[in-house]
Amino acid sequence: MPAMSKTTDYLKPILLRLGSMSLAITLLTVLALASVIGTVLLQNQDQADYLQQFGPIWYWVFRSLGLFDMYHTWWFLSLLGFLMLSLSVCLYRNVPRFLKEMRGSKVALSDSAMKHMKHSRHWDLKGQSAENVLSVAKERLKEWRIREEQRGDVSYIRADKGKYHKWGYILVHSAMLVVLTGGWISVQFGFRGNMQVPVGSQESEISFLKSTSVAYKEMPFEVHCNDFSIDFYPNGMPKEFKSNLTIIDHGKEVIKDRDIIVNEPLYYKGVRIYQASFGDGGSNIHLKLLKLDGSGEIDSAEAHVYTSYKDKTNGVTLELTDFRPHNVENMAEIGDPKDFQDLGPSVDFIMRGPGLKPVKIRSFMNAFELNGDNRGSFIQVSFSGDTKDFQSVALGLDMSDPQEWKLLQRFLIHLADDNVKNKQKANMQAFKAAMDDVFGKGKRPDNFQAMAMRVLQAAQVIPRLPWPYIPVLDDYDQKYYTGLQLAKDPGMNVVWTGSALLVMGLCIMLYVSHRKLWLIVRRKGNDLSISFVGLSNRNQLNFEHEFNEILSSMNDDMQQLEKGDAV
Amino acid sequence: MTAITESNGLWESMYQGRAAFVRYWAYIGLILGAVGLAVFGGDGYTENGYIFQLVGQDGVMWLGTGALLGAGLAIGASTLRPEMVNGYIPKTMVSWLDGAALMIALMGLLTLLEPTAAQVSYKDQSNLFAGHVIMTMNVLFLFSAICYIAYLFAPESFIGSMATAAAWGGVYAGGSSLLLRWYESYLFLGGEIGHAPVSNIYEVFILLFCIVTIIYLQWEKRYEAKAMGAFVMALVAAGVFFGIWLDSVGQAEIKPLVPALQSYWMKIHVPMNFVGYGSFAVACGAGMAYLTRMWLEARNSNMVRVFPSLEQLDQLAYKSVAVGFPAFTLATILGAAWAAEAWGGYWSWDPKETWALIVWLVYGAYLHVRISHGWHGKTLAWWTVIAFLVTVFCFLGVNMYLSGLHSYGRLS
Repeated sequence: MPAMSKTTDYLKPILLRLGSMSLAITLLTVLALASVIGTVLLQNQDQADYLQQFGPIWYWVFRSLGLFDMYHTWWFLSLLGFLMLSLSVCLYRNVPRFLKEMRGSKVALSDSAMKHMKHSRHWDLKGQSAENVLSVAKERLKEWRIREEQRGDVSYIRADKGKYHKWGYILVHSAMLVVLTGGWISVQFGFRGNMQVPVGSQESEISFLKSTSVAYKEMPFEVHCNDFSIDFYPNGMPKEFKSNLTIIDHGKEVIKDRDIIVNEPLYYKGVRIYQASFGDGGSNIHLKLLKLDGSGEIDSAEAHVYTSYKDKTNGVTLELTDFRPHNVENMAEIGDPKDFQDLGPSVDFIMRGPGLKPVKIRSFMNAFELNGDNRGSFIQVSFSGDTKDFQSVALGLDMSDPQEWKLLQRFLIHLADDNVKNKQKANMQAFKAAMDDVFGKGKRPDNFQAMAMRVLQAAQVIPRLPWPYIPVLDDYDQKYYTGLQLAKDPGMNVVWTGSALLVMGLCIMLYVSHRKLWLIVRRKGNDLSISFVGLSNRNQLNFEHEFNEILSSMNDDMQQLEKGDAV
Repeated sequence: MTAITESNGLWESMYQGRAAFVRYWAYIGLILGAVGLAVFGGDGYTENGYIFQLVGQDGVMWLGTGALLGAGLAIGASTLRPEMVNGYIPKTMVSWLDGAALMIALMGLLTLLEPTAAQVSYKDQSNLFAGHVIMTMNVLFLFSAICYIAYLFAPESFIGSMATAAAWGGVYAGGSSLLLRWYESYLFLGGEIGHAPVSNIYEVFILLFCIVTIIYLQWEKRYEAKAMGAFVMALVAAGVFFGIWLDSVGQAEIKPLVPALQSYWMKIHVPMNFVGYGSFAVACGAGMAYLTRMWLEARNSNMVRVFPSLEQLDQLAYKSVAVGFPAFTLATILGAAWAAEAWGGYWSWDPKETWALIVWLVYGAYLHVRISHGWHGKTLAWWTVIAFLVTVFCFLGVNMYLSGLHSYGRLS
């Protein structure tokens, strides 16, 4: 049919082009270059960050090219698709040829082909039978795959080793196809997302990034978190994150009280559940509100993390954003050996109110200790609301001790009453009076000198704070959430199969060389003319060695034959 | 026959025939004994528990029994069928196994020089002995590099042998220092933080030096390519300086493993990767030697005589890539398997993964143009050099400049 032949005429050059090596190399290079972009440009960040980083014009250019989620753009995926197409065409074109070559190849060798052999040797033997020579040679080549052919006066022996090396090529290229197919199945039919389950509650929905926005998916079961715990190394670094989970499927507990840790996921209904992160699951926080109106009163507030405490009397709200039971920091000077210390529990909140500049505060429960000395409490303050901008403010006073607070109040009152000119003397008198007020006349606690230092420091700082009170972490009832990653990946086993084939194929391709030897015996009357030639498709250095070894023993054989000895 | 040739003869006979055959099977028995201990010894496998078993009475029992059984079977089999002793695998493998055994024995001796438990502290690790062994390794590698370079100018066999001996010395110092660090990691904080010495950039650098040197020394032994050593060992020497710098900024400390790294995959994935990186470094050395020889030829320099032929160097570069590429492929696959277990997906387009892919593509393209297009010579020599720069960025640059899931390899 003419129409048919016409389409094949069109197809053929296209197929040739698609399966060509140049295209394959171009594709590999383009893929490599494209991948670089995705690693230099951080993927899947907040759009506002990108806009700020690149400015409106470049942001728009990058965004329309999909560079913020590059590995899922149509053009990157089509590159991969193109690679698959090229691989398929390449296989389609070469496999039949290779199989044919491996099945049967000519035993006889033409003279012109013989001339091109790099390794060759020639002997002339007088008065020997060809059969004798052939049998001697066959004995030498017994580890090789031998075939024989007789063409008139000429006998050929062809010996092969590593004939199946072309399977390496076939395996590697089909393995790549299998891996890419597995990847496609994973993307098409799998999912991967996160869920946060507070201790004691359950969750059945995962969230994940779809291009640049968040999407949700319902799981066919519910995950209940019974417990979450962290183990620490003696130096304060986390050692193990452990969640205790129960899986509930249609109201039935199918998996009960199972522990999962990082590197040891749980498997149910084709979904793997991984320990990925953790955080505060809404701990109940008690705060002391140390009033700064001069009354010295201490109020209290109670709220869960992620909720707000509203003070109806003055319209101030405290929005609790985070709670951390441990704050391990390196307390060593720069250059000294590291010295990790746990600063104890802390709570983060944002304070808002009429006439107040909103501020994020991290308040610690314990006073700061350095070399065993109590240096008073401190808080961290950030006006931007970003935890990166936290600045430490030493309050001076140990806020966990209510007596010190009382002492400060009395001190400030006495200091205002006194009108002694000498500042140091005034401080001294006011502090003495304050001590008498708090501890009773003439009574002094053991560490009152250190207390005096703290009160003096606090008197410099605390009255200047612009807030109605200082909220200090007083007590807590901690609750974690466990951050789980849930993934279903039906393509995974396909990928592993492809990977195994790939490694096998590579080893065959790179380490098995196809070596061919020919022994050609020509009868010329009573004399024999013998040629021994060899060829290898790779690893020439080794083959040269191997060829020479066989050659020298073959040479010995021939000399012995010539001498007439039986071999 | 003089004494020297006699002892040489003894040495050679150790690596041939029955001696090699029996020793090989004794090692195999030993390894099977270790596997048996892991599977059947004690109640349930835990890494720390296993290591203590291995060095304890159980270990002696299992490993000893395995080795004796292996040797016994080998003696029996070789008596019945004497031609068995000429197998290819025992003869080649036994020297590698001997080397490994020597390294472990060396480490065992070095533990005797460690300070007592009371003197060791996590906060100040400066009195641990591995630091001295690493410094010895540094000195040996630097000396070896100098000798190899000197050999180019003065090709005396004495200088050449010194270079080779120093390189081997460096390998054994490096290998035993890593093993010693493994031992040391159990010395403090109640033995809780013990882990294999492939957990940070300092340790893997030592591993890398050893792997590069071993691969190069194989090529030297088989193909008499001594001039190439100047280039390969110069790369190692550059790495040694980087390692010294890492130590000076406190990167050499033994630290606990973060939870993500607490997996047996770490012990497989990381060394396998460095077999890949190491071979690519050797390929780069061969490529540089090739380019240098070309440059020397153009100037009719006498030094050319020292160099292997262009064709040989070309082949050696290819051979190195042929060792590295499958190893790197396997390492990346192992990494994907680990990622599937720890992060929930075998591929996340994390910068490290992506750069591994880039390296893979670059060397894949190299193999394509070489095997199918038949390219040779100068272009490919340049290719190995540039591809190695890409590799360096993959294992160093990514950790330094790009953030991602592999951030524990970061310099902090």
